[in-house]
Amino acid sequence: MSVTSPSLDRPRRWDAPFAADFPPGAIESLLAIAPFNAMNPDSFPRSSSLSDILRNDTALRTFKANELIVREGDYGTSAFIIIQGRARVVLSPGLPPSAVGRKERSKKGLFRSLAQLWSSPREDEVITRRRHRDQASRSVFLQDVPRLLGEHKTAAMQAGDFFGEIAALSRMPRTATIFAEEDNTQLLEIRWQGLRDLLKYDPALRAHVDKIYRQRALASYLREIPFLRHLAPEIRAIVEAATQFETYGDYDWSGEYKKLVQAGAAAVAKETTIAAEGDYPNGIIMVRSGFARLTQRHGAGHRTLNYLGAGRVYGFDEIAHNWKNPDAPVSLQHSLRVIGHTHVLTIPAAILEQHVLPTLPASQLPPPIKLSETPGSTAPLALQQDTLSRSADRPAKVAPADSALMEFLTQNRLFNGTESMVIDLDRCTRCDDCVRACASTHDGNPRFLRHGPIHDNLMVAQACMHCADPICMIGCPTGAIHRDAFGGEVIINSDTCIGCTVCANNCPYGSIRMVETRDSDGQPLVAKDQKPLLKATKCDLCIDQLGGPACVRACPHDALDRIDLNTLDPLTAWLNRR
Amino acid sequence: MIASLKLRRTVLSLLTIAASAALAVYYPRLEAALPSLVYLTGWLLLLLCLFLTAYNVRKKLPFLPLFSSRLWLQFHAYAGLFAGLVFFFHLRFAFPVGLFNLALAALFLAVTFSGIFGWWLSRVIPRRLTTAGGEVPFERIPAIRRDLRLRAEAGALAAIPEAKATTLADFYVKTLAPVFAAGPAFLPHIMGSRAALNDRLAALAEVSRYLSPPEQARADSLAELVRARHVLDFHYANQLLLKTWLFSHVPLTYGLLLLTALHVVLVHAFSGGAG
Repeated sequence: MSVTSPSLDRPRRWDAPFAADFPPGAIESLLAIAPFNAMNPDSFPRSSSLSDILRNDTALRTFKANELIVREGDYGTSAFIIIQGRARVVLSPGLPPSAVGRKERSKKGLFRSLAQLWSSPREDEVITRRRHRDQASRSVFLQDVPRLLGEHKTAAMQAGDFFGEIAALSRMPRTATIFAEEDNTQLLEIRWQGLRDLLKYDPALRAHVDKIYRQRALASYLREIPFLRHLAPEIRAIVEAATQFETYGDYDWSGEYKKLVQAGAAAVAKETTIAAEGDYPNGIIMVRSGFARLTQRHGAGHRTLNYLGAGRVYGFDEIAHNWKNPDAPVSLQHSLRVIGHTHVLTIPAAILEQHVLPTLPASQLPPPIKLSETPGSTAPLALQQDTLSRSADRPAKVAPADSALMEFLTQNRLFNGTESMVIDLDRCTRCDDCVRACASTHDGNPRFLRHGPIHDNLMVAQACMHCADPICMIGCPTGAIHRDAFGGEVIINSDTCIGCTVCANNCPYGSIRMVETRDSDGQPLVAKDQKPLLKATKCDLCIDQLGGPACVRACPHDALDRIDLNTLDPLTAWLNRR
Repeated sequence: MIASLKLRRTVLSLLTIAASAALAVYYPRLEAALPSLVYLTGWLLLLLCLFLTAYNVRKKLPFLPLFSSRLWLQFHAYAGLFAGLVFFFHLRFAFPVGLFNLALAALFLAVTFSGIFGWWLSRVIPRRLTTAGGEVPFERIPAIRRDLRLRAEAGALAAIPEAKATTLADFYVKTLAPVFAAGPAFLPHIMGSRAALNDRLAALAEVSRYLSPPEQARADSLAELVRARHVLDFHYANQLLLKTWLFSHVPLTYGLLLLTALHVVLVHAFSGGAG
């Protein structure tokens, strides 16, 4: 008796093209227009030729007048080129959620939830080929556009313009809403896997996208910095012109991280230093994306004081101090080191002293830095938490946490998680109700391991943390692993997952597991090479279940929760909840 | 719903105290006015028992929005305590008469005390496990135990060619091999005893006097493995206790419900004659 299903073709990258119905002759037409007509097809490898990329990783979309193309705040993994027609981007202020048709994500109703009792397959991981429902694909039309144009600052976009690359490349939400201005506006949507290949093999496009990416990121980002908000437009333009961009670390930092883990306590010394403690402060450094470690010399080593994520500022206190006290200047009080892929902006101290600090309200100026009593010393007094919170991050507050916990979170790069599964081992009875609940709601297999790094009574379990910087998405050839357009959760579309294991290998936290699939009779599915057909599985935060993550709801002892570790406040509050 | 554990605990404690006080104050007054008060307390007790059992049903339906398990458990604990008080009022603080009633009361007390015992275990053992370190999922313990045994055997065997002596290997075969081969002791680990560990380490220290430097290094590794095995057995015993107490609480509960149903039928069948 056969124990396996008939052999199948192993799924490949382009088994599920981005566009189901590309019109005949469209590829040739695309190759004849900019920017594709300037590309050298010979610079692309045979396995992913330019025409193959266009055929499989792009889709032609036609929009009607006032129809939304992308919506601010949505997560998207594709960029757009306007082929014909016009579009308009809403710059500021952003449109209210009701105007852009933003609704709660649909979840299973009560009956469908209850039906799981009898409708779920008896065997684990049965492939049912459910069609992926992309909520972002539903058309939404803006109403009362003339009034909108009067109340909001907008800008026109025309054929040849490129947009959406910030969200596609940085795995961040869309920064603006863009809608079609006229009927039959045609765009080419490029999913990020295709965009990545185009950028990889065409230097001109890479330079162009890099330029517009930096310009647009800078303009929107500087508006979010509290001490730059008060600036007049002409001063802001000066600041923007003087701002420098720097990117540190590998875009795919998983391999580097694994090496650093092996280095143990020596990892800090191996990290690239962005700014060194004791140096003269030449400018403020703002973390645009990724994370940086804030350290201070302690004995023969470096003590981690904090980690700074997107939106955090370094060096402002020192520059403000030196501007107010030119006779008693201080050096940088801490070092800033790269962890992972970190993109930072630097505003030179001279620009701040000339244009920003003189116009800053006194209430926004930080108090002077206290120095030790050694004559001529620029070293700080003993470490004080309030000093840290001022110098390291104006926008966000640092919660008190012990140094060992900070080291633990930083060393293991757990700060990347926005929905990390934390378990209080002093309360956890190891009953595994969380594991069983997860299995009950996910094809009979739990999507996490109740196991992971431990500090004191805190365990961070091996469950997908829905990272701020989800590097698992980097290598996915089909885009099966993606951010949910509404909430930004990192989820896997099992219909397009080809089981290539790239995401599982990329995840630095071991939170993605490859499982063997079965047919509806429970027989294992195998490819023609007689190897099992795999699919990637991970926690999806029960986004379609009523009531949220089943693991949290199933814990009887208040021992398990999902916590945003990008900042320390939620974790500190949770640890002190009793 | 109340998010803070502390607040929930406070609110539920106050509610339980208030309900208990109301029962204590009003029961004597109602007893004089209502001759059938014992029926009311009986039905109240049955309702409480059904509510307490419903928690197990909730656990089987994690995909339904039936409130969080932690909320259920807290209600379960406080409702269980209140049910204990109602039980004594239902008995009118008298010793139950007859074998059936005695069995029913014994079962109720067994369920109640197993619940209290379980609650105590769930508060004490997790801290002990955390303090012991070496966190390990229960299902992986046999595999790790086997791995420790294999590593210990390999270490003892490797010492023979290194030292050209069998002193450590002989000691291993005689003293440590039975330890690594045996299953975990349960009671000593529940009691937190380290006597066996200390004995083994003392024996290793004793034999170390006669070991050459290569053997000494192997003996140090063996000592680490002995400690690791002790921690593993500690986890096994304590996690086993945490998992198995429910195997007494839940079957006792279903037994209680069965006898209670019979009790209701008997009481209503024969109440006319008794009256």
